Amino acid sequence: MKKIHIIGIVIIAVAIGAIFTTLNNTSTYASFSEACTEPGSEFHVVGKRDKEKEMVYEPKVDANLFSFYMTDNKGKECKVILHKNKPQDFEHSEQIVLIGKMKMPENEFQASDILMKCPSKYNDGKPQASN
Amino acid sequence: MEYLNEHLWIGQVGNLFVILSFVFALLAGLSYFFAARENEAAPSWKRIARISFRIHALSVVGIVGSLFVMLYSHYFEYEYVWHHSSKEMPMRYILSCFWEGQEGSFLLWTFWHVVIGLILQRTSKTFEAPVMATISLVQAFLTSMLLGIFVFEHRIGSNPFTVLLRNHPDFSNIPLFQNPHYLDKLDGRGLNPLLQNYWMTIHPPTLFLGFALTVVPFAYAIAGLWKNRLNEWIKPALPWAFIGVAVLGVGILMGGAWAYEALSFGGFWAWDPVENASLVPWLTLVGTAHLLLINKNNGQSLFVAFFLAILTFVLILYSTFLTRSGILGDSSVHAFTDLGMSGQLLIYLFFFLFLGVFLLFKNRKNFPKHTEEEGIWSREFWMFVGAIVLLVSSFQIMFYTSMPVWNKLFDLHKAPAKDVIGFYNSWQLPFAFITTLLIAVGQYFRYKSTDIKVFLKKMAASFIFSLGLTFLVFYTIHFDKPYYSILLFSSIFAAVANANYMFLILKGKIRKAGASVAHIGFALVMLGVLISTSKKDIISQNTSGKSVESLGEKFSNNDNILLTQGDTLPMGKYLVTYMGKRTVGINIYFDVDYFTKDANGKLKKEFTLSPLVQTNPRMGNVAEPDTRHFPTFDVYTHVTFADLENLKEKKEDSTDEYATAKNHTLKKGDTIFSSNAIIVFDSLSTRIDKSKYKLAEKDIAVQAHFRVLDIKKTYSASPLYVIHDNLIQPVPFKVDELGLQFMFWKIDPSNGKIEISLQEKKSNTKDFIVMQAIVFPYINILWLGAIIMAIGTILAIIERIRK
Repeated sequence: MKKIHIIGIVIIAVAIGAIFTTLNNTSTYASFSEACTEPGSEFHVVGKRDKEKEMVYEPKVDANLFSFYMTDNKGKECKVILHKNKPQDFEHSEQIVLIGKMKMPENEFQASDILMKCPSKYNDGKPQASN
Repeated sequence: MEYLNEHLWIGQVGNLFVILSFVFALLAGLSYFFAARENEAAPSWKRIARISFRIHALSVVGIVGSLFVMLYSHYFEYEYVWHHSSKEMPMRYILSCFWEGQEGSFLLWTFWHVVIGLILQRTSKTFEAPVMATISLVQAFLTSMLLGIFVFEHRIGSNPFTVLLRNHPDFSNIPLFQNPHYLDKLDGRGLNPLLQNYWMTIHPPTLFLGFALTVVPFAYAIAGLWKNRLNEWIKPALPWAFIGVAVLGVGILMGGAWAYEALSFGGFWAWDPVENASLVPWLTLVGTAHLLLINKNNGQSLFVAFFLAILTFVLILYSTFLTRSGILGDSSVHAFTDLGMSGQLLIYLFFFLFLGVFLLFKNRKNFPKHTEEEGIWSREFWMFVGAIVLLVSSFQIMFYTSMPVWNKLFDLHKAPAKDVIGFYNSWQLPFAFITTLLIAVGQYFRYKSTDIKVFLKKMAASFIFSLGLTFLVFYTIHFDKPYYSILLFSSIFAAVANANYMFLILKGKIRKAGASVAHIGFALVMLGVLISTSKKDIISQNTSGKSVESLGEKFSNNDNILLTQGDTLPMGKYLVTYMGKRTVGINIYFDVDYFTKDANGKLKKEFTLSPLVQTNPRMGNVAEPDTRHFPTFDVYTHVTFADLENLKEKKEDSTDEYATAKNHTLKKGDTIFSSNAIIVFDSLSTRIDKSKYKLAEKDIAVQAHFRVLDIKKTYSASPLYVIHDNLIQPVPFKVDELGLQFMFWKIDPSNGKIEISLQEKKSNTKDFIVMQAIVFPYINILWLGAIIMAIGTILAIIERIRK
């Protein structure tokens, strides 16, 4: 066997390894209902903030605790406990991606991280007259 | 309607240049193609081609100039100008406005290709026609991105000169455009505040020059395959490949510096898809350059050299597709938004991919067969192994980064894992280890074969010295990560061995030491990355009030500190005080003073950091960090939350006053919050020592019991509900330590709910910020390494060109 063959085999082995570990090291985009069926597993849930319901952030009590309500893309609403500071500009967020786990039986989504799409930041803003 | 004061002429001029640049790129491509056939007509084709490319070059300069004039003169009637600039924006950011949008960044890329093309026209000699044919074709594709014309209802490209704001589909119904004088009142939307940073003035042009330079080895490879000059292209392509390595490398690190300085990600590298998209072509370009070097010295690894040169350019196109098609969507923070050009980008990508693959396949029989293998103790063998390691490493990065593409192709729903950075690190660490080890020993091998005894003798000193140095570093900075220490050793080894090579074997001849210097630089970059990230210390910690242990240890993000104005808290080795905020323009600076304690326990002020939040009515609030640089470490801070509602400095209230009460309806077990505590309603009781509260015997009294928890302690509060002579006369309860007062107003016997009011002292609502602070040790090694790497590569290129 030539050295080039050995190198080839090692490359293929490492590449397959990379593919498999990558596929295993992912979370899943899901709805709240799907997250409910597997409490304790990590999911990414996409949705919108429920603007009617209350948000609680009391940094003087706990700067790393923020709760609000979110409606996922299938229309199910759930209370969210985010173990992080309230993101700057949260009120303007259009779409939210939560990363975390469902906690049963409280029916609360415990999120460790949040990603937001703020339309205001990239798209929004219409031409308007200034003085 | 007749609109007044519009400057439509400049758009027409710009658009004319766009059309000219596209047409003449096509013409240059075609005529270079015919010129490359080297028949009788070739010389006249070549003349046409040269002139066409120069007209193309002039047109591109014309496009750039027109766009600058529009931006400089605030012609907001153009969507691009309105979208990316505004009147109040300082002029020094005009360059950033220029390339903030997709069109502008394509233009920047096109411009660099023009510069490179003009140089190649003069320097590539017999390769001119085939190389310039490819480059002109690339230019035709790129300028088509700016055409903005409709062909069978498909829009081709996006043209900053023809899209007028008043015609833009998103804004067609806006009443402003009923006014013929609308321009008098219009201001631009402005540049994203994150990009208003000097790094954003120099990072994109450097990065795009790096991107553009990858076209040269690609065009030479295509020319080599096409004209069956399989070995000849190597020599002229080689310096270009190394210039690309230097420029793209510096460009990527400038992006890191920008992220570190202006973004609140908490670091200079986050394995973000956009970062990966430029890192991966750099890795394959480094591989390409080294394979060209092998081939130039002994004619081997030819096929892989072709393969990598083509792959690198295709990866640049793929990266462009990833970052501009909108496919990254949620997984990246700074991808461009989709302009509806992804189809066009894909055609572009597949065209050059198939061109490369087809030509490689067609020439498969022409590659020289090597009967003898390279010896295991030869330099070329280990350089080849190194290039392969880089290839595998880039495969791992690209495969993971492309997750959104796999999702779309195979209808999956995979999201990135929580610890993306950790996952990349665990894969890339072994690759970095092997690469740095190869860098250390590489130059000590000779081409063809090496006397292993001599090799070991030359290596021994560096090896032992590096081992000692590693232990020293290990103990002095408490490097407690055994898994990472192998990379610590290999990086130190790489730096030491190359320094040794430079002084002992090259006898300090700096002209010849380019490779050694560049390798020392790379080793230092790795060392800086390793130490600053693995030893980074988040010194802002808060004690969390709620337990989240059931969700796993790492779940809680306990990285923020709450600073109340005037209070002094310990943070890392400092004591910090939030002094207050000040507003400058649209920036709100939060001044935080850092103190140390001297031997007598006296506070000594060390420095002030003012992380800021930029409030832009059109773009929202963006936090920007502030960093204090020391020779051996950086203190990096950014505000993660601040109350921006009360921007105007409030007058200090007399602190003992209570603010207005808040009413709460509660049942047993309910929790409410004050600004400084969690309050839990535990129980009701009727057995009360009435004499204690000076109540009459016939009074009806109920006592509510609350637990009041703040960060340090649990208090209790027990207000009384009293009916005295048919009147409700509650007895309030004060928790003085927390400045809280409870009043118990009502009981609803039907459902057991009670109503209370809660008052807080005004001093409780003092201004505060929530901040994150990270210490990055020895991050300067990284920046120093980057500069040394660039200098080394330039030295090597000068030496190559001189030969």
